[in-house]
Amino acid sequence: MEHSKQSQYSPNEKDAGSGDGGVVNGHFDTTVKRPSGGRSGALQAAGAESGSHHPAASVMESWREERTRSVEDNEMSLPSLAAAYTTILRGLGEDPQRQGLLKTPWRAATAMQFFTKGYQMKIIDVLNDAIFDEDHDEMVIVKDIDMFSMCEHHLVPIFGRVRDVGRARFQERLTKQIAVAITEALQPAGVGVVIEATHMCMVMRGVQKMNSKTVTSTMLGVFREDPKTRDEFLTLIRS
Amino acid sequence: MNGKMSGVVAEFHCGGGGFGELSLETKKSAAHRKHETSRKEAEDESRLPALEAAYTSILRELGEDADRQGLLRTPLRAAQAMQFLTKGYHESIYDILNDAIFDEDHDEMVIVKDIDMFSLCEHHLVPFFGKVHIGYLPNKKVVGLSKLARIVEIYSRRLQVQERLTKQIATSISEAVQPKGVAVIIEAAHMCMVMRGVQKMNSRTVTSTMLGIFREDPKSREEFLALSKHI
Repeated sequence: MEHSKQSQYSPNEKDAGSGDGGVVNGHFDTTVKRPSGGRSGALQAAGAESGSHHPAASVMESWREERTRSVEDNEMSLPSLAAAYTTILRGLGEDPQRQGLLKTPWRAATAMQFFTKGYQMKIIDVLNDAIFDEDHDEMVIVKDIDMFSMCEHHLVPIFGRVRDVGRARFQERLTKQIAVAITEALQPAGVGVVIEATHMCMVMRGVQKMNSKTVTSTMLGVFREDPKTRDEFLTLIRS
Repeated sequence: MNGKMSGVVAEFHCGGGGFGELSLETKKSAAHRKHETSRKEAEDESRLPALEAAYTSILRELGEDADRQGLLRTPLRAAQAMQFLTKGYHESIYDILNDAIFDEDHDEMVIVKDIDMFSLCEHHLVPFFGKVHIGYLPNKKVVGLSKLARIVEIYSRRLQVQERLTKQIATSISEAVQPKGVAVIIEAAHMCMVMRGVQKMNSRTVTSTMLGIFREDPKSREEFLALSKHI
């Protein structure tokens, strides 16, 4: 049943990875099994979604911003990215022609594209078939998920761990995006997300000590309302 | 800038007793150094627009919206961050070591270890960071301990390759203090390997440079390795 529905998707969707929003929303509706139907539950903001009636729609909107990028886009932007990095090398007083730096603009450009490849991906592609009906009502915890991101203020890495499950200003937004995405995909009784990360932009400039971390959390549903559940979650992830 | 640096380093090379003359030099060049610092700052300022434009272009090419609120000043911040991370180009050993070399009749090993180091890999422009352990065997002269850390700063705040960084730290200490031997070990994590490519979280790269007695005498080398590893 799943497969036949998938084959109805426009083949472009799988190949280019940058379908237009409206088409994808419609497809998402039919793939994901829901205990209760109704919400269009679109995770993409690209393009209009028809008939979305989220309770806190305006709040959800801001973390559903997505720009989709394709593999072809990556190839086309590589020369300009490399040129920009050559300018940066010169601007720092280095000599882009010296042996160690000759191919650096290209390597730095592809590295940057890799670090931002989240723009090429959609939650739907990642979750795909992996949502199952299951009569389980205990907490599910996946913890210590290594995470790497780029600080959008300085374009310097942030890395840390995500303690996540079945809730710096930029890190807060990331935490919320993860929590909301899980909520919309699974509609669980609650979600808790904790991110503990080191911001290299602060550590490398001496503002932050190496061992101190920035911690943000988002609690939704029963994790927000019931202190006991929240405590259980927080205790289990600390251990 | 490169021309100026090699002129400075040449002063270290003239003669073994060069440091006596050095103190005279330091007094009359203090004013010169102040002038140099402001010249370098001005140079940084004048390069900022080109760097900013490059970063704006990068944001757009990555598919981002350079005009959205969170990114509005990012090109400027990223450019300034990059300048900070490469400020070692502006600095020289001469600037920082001037008064901090002392005559001392100490002939046991001196070790400064676990010096935090942050650098940028020159291949991907991505950070690598870790710890530097330095040991040297003085020959009638010791250097202020924090100056060893400053030396690490000067060379690590550049586009670097870990092997070269290790060697530069060792050679500059060797030239400045003229000890019986210098040993430098760097243990670092390379984000270019962790965040991309092979994506190995826990691997570390270790490089070392052994000069003088640390190279020739296995016992001294072992003593250094033992002392720098254990707490």
